[in-house]
Amino acid sequence: MIQLQEIRKSFDGREVIKGVDTLFETGQTSLIIGQSGSGKTVLLKCVVGLLDPDSGDILYDGRSLAGMNKADRTFLRSEMGMLFQGSALFDSMSIQENVLFPLRMFSPMPDSDKIKRAQYCLDRVGLKGSYHLFPSEISGGMQKRAAIARAISLNPKYLFCDEPNSGLDPLTSIKIDELITDITQEYKMTTVINTHDMNSVITMGEKIVFIYEGDKAWEGGRDALFESENEKLNEFVFASKMMQRKSC
Amino acid sequence: MFYHVGRYSQLMYRTFSIPQRWKLFFKQTWKEIEKLGADSLPITLIISIFIGAVMTMQTQMNTENPLLPRYTTGLVTRDTLLLEFCSSILCLILAGKVGSNIASEIGTMRITEQIDALDIMGVNSANYLILPKITGFIVFIPFLVVYSMFCGLMGGYFISLSTDLITPATYIYGIQYWFISWYVYYSLIKAVVFAFIITSVSSYYGYYAYGGALDVGKASTNAVVNSSILILLFNLILTKLLLS
Repeated sequence: MIQLQEIRKSFDGREVIKGVDTLFETGQTSLIIGQSGSGKTVLLKCVVGLLDPDSGDILYDGRSLAGMNKADRTFLRSEMGMLFQGSALFDSMSIQENVLFPLRMFSPMPDSDKIKRAQYCLDRVGLKGSYHLFPSEISGGMQKRAAIARAISLNPKYLFCDEPNSGLDPLTSIKIDELITDITQEYKMTTVINTHDMNSVITMGEKIVFIYEGDKAWEGGRDALFESENEKLNEFVFASKMMQRKSC
Repeated sequence: MFYHVGRYSQLMYRTFSIPQRWKLFFKQTWKEIEKLGADSLPITLIISIFIGAVMTMQTQMNTENPLLPRYTTGLVTRDTLLLEFCSSILCLILAGKVGSNIASEIGTMRITEQIDALDIMGVNSANYLILPKITGFIVFIPFLVVYSMFCGLMGGYFISLSTDLITPATYIYGIQYWFISWYVYYSLIKAVVFAFIITSVSSYYGYYAYGGALDVGKASTNAVVNSSILILLFNLILTKLLLS
């Protein structure tokens, strides 16, 4: 469970996140949605500790991020997995070496077990037999899968995904969404996804937080999404013709 | 300027911490020795031979004075190579090759979120990425300097063999005459300092690159320009300290 308490963040005097409060439950896939530039990436970076909020706190199963020392933060990070928008695989390493990397850094397992674990994770995301390919040799969808395999290699308690479907075709996007949902349930993780893909919102959004101009404008489940009377949310949700038809 | 000095100091503080995995650190350092050091051997060979050859020719052509002994050419070539070329000029050239390589590599990792991925995993990204580069290049630079000295002197020797400007025996006598071994140590000390400047400054510009491909290019240019300026500044300071 991750609890956000009054998170605020400014850059050069401009407040980008304006006191966001919310709760992400364990075993659930929670989505942060909003227009480009609304502050969702900054919020996610604050949650994972890549940016320090100006005020407020983030509680990881009751543990305060602001109150943690360096060793505690390092330990917490070993419990996190993150899927970046551009996959962020290490170019100089093969897919298997990418997945092995966190294991080599933090796991006390013998080397042979680490390789087995890396190959298990790659098999789990459907990349069996692609172990020795390099990121530049595989498609965008495969890169996302490899990044998911790397993110789950240490059995994380918390999984964060920043725009997991960006740059993917609709079919591959659906497969990635299904994979994230399955893994969340399988590993009982707290998963937080940043997205503006409405298909993901409908299929995965057990909890949805709508960010508008840095503020939490609405939160609820996917069923409540279509009944909401929040004007800004409706503008965002029903922006596409497909969604307008769907609502009719 | 104070902003850059402060941020650079903070980055170096993070860089010079104990590696989280020694085995990975040694593996990375070995890779950097190969990439930054060993791969610089061909350019060092070419530049040193040609500069040594040209220096011998020019010295000989400009010292045709009956009052100056014939071996002056070898002596001047040797001392110029030892004192300036094989440390300062070589490092200025390597600042272009190695500095742009480091800045663009780390800069690309920054803009493609690979550094963020390391941070999220709890890896000290500065230590993991930068320390092996600094260590690897500092370890290898003395070999490059000595290699450059040898190649430069050989360049002069080829001129003595292939032209009638100076005889090989006179050239060999000149490069042995009044040899001061401290000049070699002086050159090595300078090169180690310059190697640190090149790797750390270039890493700094790459690490804090922000934006897109254009910004990585800018970071790379800034890395080379600022490393070169610092090399020239420290050349002056070290010469004053070590030779005065």
